[in-house]
Amino acid sequence: MNNSLAVVLIASGIGYGTPLLYASLGELLAERSGVLNLGVEGMMLIGAVTGFWTVQRFHAGTAVALAAAVGIAALAGAATSLIHAFLVITLRASQIVSGLALTIFAGAAGLSSYLGNDFNLAANPARHTFHTVFPASWQGWPLVGPIIFGHNVLVYASWGLVVTVWLYLTRTRPGLNLRAVGDAPAAADAMGINVAAYRYAHTLVGGALAGVAGATFTLAINPQWFDNITGGSGWIAIALVIFAFWRPELCLVGAYFFGALQDLAPELQARGIHLGPTVLWTNALPYLMTIVVLVLVSASSTRRWLGAPAALGTPYVREEG
Amino acid sequence: MRGITKRFPGVVANDDVGFEAAAGEVHALLGENGAGKSTLSNILTGLYRPDEGEIHVYGERVEFHAPRDALDAGISMVHQHFRLVDRFTVAENVALGDHRREGRAFRLRSRAIERRVAELGERYGLAVDPRAHIWQLSVGEQQRVEILKALYLDARILILDEPTAVLTPQEAEVLFGTLRELAADGRTIVFISHKLHEVKAVSNRVTVLRAGRNVATVDAAEATPRSLAELMVGRGLGEGVRAAPREAGEVVLALDDVWADGDRRGAAVKGVSLQVRAGEIVAVAGVAGNGQRELAEAIAGIRPATKGSIRVAGKTPRAGDPRAAIAAGIAYVPEDRLGTGLAPSISIASNFALKSYREPPASTGPLLRLRRMRDRALELIKRYHIAAPGPQVPVRLLSGGNLQKVVLAREFSGRPKMLVAGSPTRGLDVGAIESVHAYLHEAAANGVGILLLSEDLDEILTLADRIAVIYEGQIAGETARADANVEEIGLLMAGGQDPRRD
Amino acid sequence: MVAVPAASLVFAFFASGLVLLATGHDALSSYRRLFDAAFLNRGALGDTLVSATPLAFTGLAAAAAFRMRLFNIGGEGQLYIGAITAAAAGLYFGGSGGPSAFAIAAMVVAGCAGGAAWALIPGILRAFFRTNVIITSLMLNYVAGYLLTYLIFNSQSYWRQTIGFNASVFPTSKQLPNSAIWPAATVHVHGGVALPLGAGFAVLAAGLLWVLYSRTRFGFEANVLGDSARAARYAGMRTRRKILAVMAISGAIAGLGGASQDGDFRHTLDADPNGLQRQFYGYSGIVVAALARYNPLAVLLVAFLIGGLQNAGNTLQGADFPSGLVGVIQGIILFSALGGELLVRYRIRVRRRERAGSAPAAEVT
Repeated sequence: MNNSLAVVLIASGIGYGTPLLYASLGELLAERSGVLNLGVEGMMLIGAVTGFWTVQRFHAGTAVALAAAVGIAALAGAATSLIHAFLVITLRASQIVSGLALTIFAGAAGLSSYLGNDFNLAANPARHTFHTVFPASWQGWPLVGPIIFGHNVLVYASWGLVVTVWLYLTRTRPGLNLRAVGDAPAAADAMGINVAAYRYAHTLVGGALAGVAGATFTLAINPQWFDNITGGSGWIAIALVIFAFWRPELCLVGAYFFGALQDLAPELQARGIHLGPTVLWTNALPYLMTIVVLVLVSASSTRRWLGAPAALGTPYVREEG
Repeated sequence: MRGITKRFPGVVANDDVGFEAAAGEVHALLGENGAGKSTLSNILTGLYRPDEGEIHVYGERVEFHAPRDALDAGISMVHQHFRLVDRFTVAENVALGDHRREGRAFRLRSRAIERRVAELGERYGLAVDPRAHIWQLSVGEQQRVEILKALYLDARILILDEPTAVLTPQEAEVLFGTLRELAADGRTIVFISHKLHEVKAVSNRVTVLRAGRNVATVDAAEATPRSLAELMVGRGLGEGVRAAPREAGEVVLALDDVWADGDRRGAAVKGVSLQVRAGEIVAVAGVAGNGQRELAEAIAGIRPATKGSIRVAGKTPRAGDPRAAIAAGIAYVPEDRLGTGLAPSISIASNFALKSYREPPASTGPLLRLRRMRDRALELIKRYHIAAPGPQVPVRLLSGGNLQKVVLAREFSGRPKMLVAGSPTRGLDVGAIESVHAYLHEAAANGVGILLLSEDLDEILTLADRIAVIYEGQIAGETARADANVEEIGLLMAGGQDPRRD
Repeated sequence: MVAVPAASLVFAFFASGLVLLATGHDALSSYRRLFDAAFLNRGALGDTLVSATPLAFTGLAAAAAFRMRLFNIGGEGQLYIGAITAAAAGLYFGGSGGPSAFAIAAMVVAGCAGGAAWALIPGILRAFFRTNVIITSLMLNYVAGYLLTYLIFNSQSYWRQTIGFNASVFPTSKQLPNSAIWPAATVHVHGGVALPLGAGFAVLAAGLLWVLYSRTRFGFEANVLGDSARAARYAGMRTRRKILAVMAISGAIAGLGGASQDGDFRHTLDADPNGLQRQFYGYSGIVVAALARYNPLAVLLVAFLIGGLQNAGNTLQGADFPSGLVGVIQGIILFSALGGELLVRYRIRVRRRERAGSAPAAEVT
């Protein structure tokens, strides 16, 4: 049973989907405040390289080293997003150009590659990595074994994060204020909410989560370093936020779905199933589905229920009297 | 609350302005557009910081660094353009930004907030469903939400900026009742307006502002609309510009059962029939949002009419094709000057050519003739006395009055048969209003038919030969100016029946 | 006009210098070698042109669309598709024994058509469903990339080499026949600089684009539409048609860049994951366009400078010259250009506000 295609795909979807989940939750928070950050890929790579550097150079027990690595990755991601925040919130630069610049600056041909090369990180595999939390024997249990008990602590933490973000958005005052800042910054400002502060805070949290997402790659999924190790996941994360209608619980579903797609082609091939150009359509599917969802979201009749934060992408300037 | 003084160096929006309002008083701030009312209220609510001056609330000196400080001091404002989050419920909007009492809790207790909003609404006759989403509410209801927001925060001082602009005269009466009740409760109401009769009707005292300065504070009971107007404008008033009755020519615009959709679902214009003759000014009165903009856009071809016919000087231009409407001789001065009527970052010269760039002399084949466009711009800037640094500067740098002149100059230079104007003087100062009115009169005298869509009854009574009232996309009644009666028009604007039909 | 970009360039090199110093490199000598490798060394100029030509195409493509506030960041994918269609045309017509000019012309047309068609997908979605061009065009970059890989690595497509020993060991693409290879003019300075035909097309495209946007009715409409869609509708401009036309032009230029990759430089459809797809020409093109403030003629100049930087990065890459430095410098240049421009605008706005304060009194005419 545990070898059935469905179970294998769900289990690997959770594994591959976890960095997507972290990154998309971070991007979701930033976008809910009105800041579109196209630099997710760059921030992830910074998180990946700094997290990896930490476990290689920081001599401590596995648990401590890994905790430090995740913390440093989060800090580095947040620091990277600070550039974007300053440019678009304080200087009101174009969010698109700034986000792209961030990816070029930090991404596969930028700072992450520079640091990886300069510290010669590609030479060795990771000294500490995340392993499954529960005993191996549990994973033989039908269904729940691989799906529920077969993961590392980053996966379980991400489940907690989904609930936290969901509660934050719907059940707390800061969450309410955040939604107001993203939807109607002028209204929020008039009610004494500091629009810029909310935008800075959530852009930085978004960067931190992208950093963690990157570290997930180098410390768990593929515990080594090479240029462009995230392979475009950052862009999928951006797509995912739209796919999930800016809602955290749907981010989880979408992340695991997109994660499963990444494993679909090899699994099908291993089982000798051929469904046309499998590699092509399984790879392209997340992007094509995002386009379809975007068309649905753009239709005016659904916009108000499902749509993006109304002020997404636009700087807030206090109206001149 | 005593002694608010604000000083600004140089000739700025507010120059040494001050007024006092007592608890339990409705205090009006009267002044024309640009007199500094909005700046003053933005200072009072902490949006702007004064360069000089002091604010005292209940005898205590306060300093506002941010909107939150003003809210904490008990000052709330109802802006002219509501500051509501469309996608939130009433209760969520009311709870927004509250950071005292239950607001200090990290948790959002939706039920408790909804209950309190309902209580407040009941007590002050401001009934709205706390769970309704803002976008489902009418404009009047949205205004109630704004007032509820202030009451929820225990505002002792409530500032309302032109609150009646979006209301019918009858709805305004209800609002005045609420305001008096709130004042009787011991609160202070600051009522900002440029409408004389309202100010006189609702307030105890009136502070008049002119060009950023304090002119006078008078008792409303002792003032007359005329004395207030003279204080506001700073000179004696004539009888107003009333042109001699014109000879109306043939029909240039004939609307027959015109329907058009709104931006949201459903029809916004529902079977309008109207005629405008050459040299005639026909006004369509109505509260904003009753289909005026959609009607104007249908005539201008920007919005397709879904049913009915629009005939211009006997011909029927293709529906929903602005070019066909332009070619048929329709000129359109949209309510949204900067953004629809003009492209903000494009040069003045290009904006003059916005409708004529397709033909000579502005272009030859696919190529533009930039020099000719510039020369033409220079000519129009001179002829219409437009204060502009040059024809190549982006048009957004001009002031409101000059923007409207650019639009009018362009529209008249197309030699139209018919001009549709949507609230052409909204937001302009008295001088600019006078020149816009003069241009409209002049055009009518030259045989252009004019359809004026406006919410301002004073303007309509000054300009129009005939007045039609629009309510929820339908013409509720029509009358010649000579027979016009403000109360009756007000009733029609509110959706009341035309009494003559009974 | 020039001061802000120049100042941001200086600032960028200063900031990147800090990065170098912080990681234990000699900033000055690194820059010296960078500059030599980009422009001064023997053969450097020719190599710089190789890097600059595709950047000019993608930069022009971005500039054409961004001017109308159509944020087409799909230049990357449009370039791939242009390379695919142009390679098909080159293989087909180049092998038919016809004249070389004919094969080249067919590649140009096919590249433009392929890129334009790919760009029209987000264009149509934008025009008819008001879908955000940024996201759709971005998503399609990946689809195009996977398609490119698939054609050579996972299928028996027309582009894939199936004959010969090498082809049976490792998937590879067919070489273009000689008549489909674009000629280059050689200028005899500094040991000879090859001017690729594609560079000539880029200059031509920049000139046409400049005329189009500043001197024609089409450009007038695009400028109005980019500034205010409502004003354009008000003036009777055909909004949808214009969106489609501009997206098609933008995509065609990027697609031509793809054709130039085939014909000028790679002489095959390059699907290698470390080849064309690792250059990120499309994304860098947006940087180029933004630095040039979407002015087509300035795009050429900026593309040349950034091309020099990339070329130098490629040449020097090694133990004492970390890869990735070029991306860092590019990013910082763009950050400082963005920031610098906005700082200047800030100051102007503040000054204007001071003056505007007196306007209401003076305006009563």
